[in-house]
Amino acid sequence: MTDPADLTSPTAQADPASDSRPRHHVRSRLMRESLLDRQVERSTESPVHRMLPEAHVLKIGGRSILDAGREVVFPVVAALADCLQTWKLILGTGGGVRTRHVFSVGIDLGLPTGVLAQVAQADSLGNAHILGTLLAPYGVVAIPPEIFGHLLPLFLHSAPGVVFGSVPPYSLWEHPPGIGRIPPHRTDAGAFLLAECFGCRSLTLVKDVDGLHAADPKLEPGAAFIPEIGVAELKRRGLRTLPFEPVLLDLLENARLLDRFQIVNGHRPERIRAALAGEHVGTIVHRDR
Amino acid sequence: MDELLTELGQALVEGSLSDEDLLARTGRPSVFHILPEANVIKVGGQSFIDRGRAAVFPFIDEVVANLGRHQMILGTGAGTRARHAYSVGLDLGMPTGVLSVLGTFVSMQNARMLSYLLAKHGIPFIEPAQFAQLPLYLAERGAVIFFGMPPYVYWHQNPAVGRIPPHRTDTGSYLVSEVLGTRSMIYVKDVDGLYTADPKKDKHARFIPRITVGELRELDLADVVVERPVFDFMAHALVRRSIQVINGLVPGNLTRALDGEPVGTVITAD
Repeated sequence: MTDPADLTSPTAQADPASDSRPRHHVRSRLMRESLLDRQVERSTESPVHRMLPEAHVLKIGGRSILDAGREVVFPVVAALADCLQTWKLILGTGGGVRTRHVFSVGIDLGLPTGVLAQVAQADSLGNAHILGTLLAPYGVVAIPPEIFGHLLPLFLHSAPGVVFGSVPPYSLWEHPPGIGRIPPHRTDAGAFLLAECFGCRSLTLVKDVDGLHAADPKLEPGAAFIPEIGVAELKRRGLRTLPFEPVLLDLLENARLLDRFQIVNGHRPERIRAALAGEHVGTIVHRDR
Repeated sequence: MDELLTELGQALVEGSLSDEDLLARTGRPSVFHILPEANVIKVGGQSFIDRGRAAVFPFIDEVVANLGRHQMILGTGAGTRARHAYSVGLDLGMPTGVLSVLGTFVSMQNARMLSYLLAKHGIPFIEPAQFAQLPLYLAERGAVIFFGMPPYVYWHQNPAVGRIPPHRTDTGSYLVSEVLGTRSMIYVKDVDGLYTADPKKDKHARFIPRITVGELRELDLADVVVERPVFDFMAHALVRRSIQVINGLVPGNLTRALDGEPVGTVITAD
């Protein structure tokens, strides 16, 4: 390891240890190091700058909210409009039933997970445009994915909120899942990863259930409600279904800035404002450390 | 609506995508191989391109010699400038997603430079948004160049340890080979393959010609020649269940690897 003062030195130097075809290094802390060495990996743990510490990220469910018709959607839009008076909001949208359908056709055709991830972006983006149209009177619109991440702080400085299709840009590079073909990083994961990278204040998943239950409450109405749970305990319980993407548990385990997310019922729209105010109105899943 | 859907489609529309029984059903139809004649070749950044013309020119000649013999999708590593960018970024508190953007830029520089060396053969550099044209370029010219970083940018997930983006150019190239169902995944580095320790630092390091992902996990090496997430993905892979790491500084190795010979370390899924 070189002196920290050398970190930004532009000096290039040849690797003295190599043969007649030297590697030309730029002097840095990680110069010549294998980035795959565990000790080097550990040495890179350091505090993280929060880009948008005041912004709240919400993921508005596809099948659970946006596909459910005006009786459900309009009160959610009214609740979001009310919140926009108080906070800066980053609104992700699920893909809903159309994504489920395109998955089924793609799987039937034998297409791999990365292709399913790529084609699913369109449904979430379509829903982002629907939500953006409804929120347009408040100055909130859907932002094209090509410029969304890079320009997000600028947009949020200028507008009370933004809408984005929250399928992460994994596309053909989506990870092969352990079971089956469905892309593991869908719109919950896209909202989570964005909130973590930008150091946002909170992540709220707006769904059509009160939160997490010991079993799917739509199939077992008496299932016990779980108001708060840690990642390790939730993994240990191995519930058959979860009201969010299971990959969120792994992402939360490795998060540095986000330490929790809350699932709230958008069919009780007053809970959205309460959740952003820091109230416990659904299920909170928290990091263990 | 019901008539439009298969029974599985109906279950997907109505069911939970966290239900493992439902997920298992989605794996039953056989997977389609999109480009079964193509080979993905990852060209190392620090290990290869940073060595300049002495390493790169003979390699380019060998790529050209294989045009018409093998279809090649060439991904590029990042290397020493990425290490510099990561060092500066870590010091200033950049999150993993921003470091991913910085790493992407460096691997893009390397892809552009290689593409100019191959330009007279009509071989293009393509960004992720141009992957829809990849099959045409491959059919017409026999090769394309892309940057190896997966395009996760701000959505790059954190590593369990440290802050460096865990899915870099080895992983991005591997995922291209898996999703496109290619016939091989070859890593071009400056070592003969996998050793029990870094041969550049440890004189007692032993060479490993062939190993499985499970055996590799058992060895629990402090350092490995290919990014570890590649091994995790290989365990889940449907198509690309083996990779080969070769020494690109040795003339003929690339050609032999493309011909299917083991010339470095072959790593296979269990």
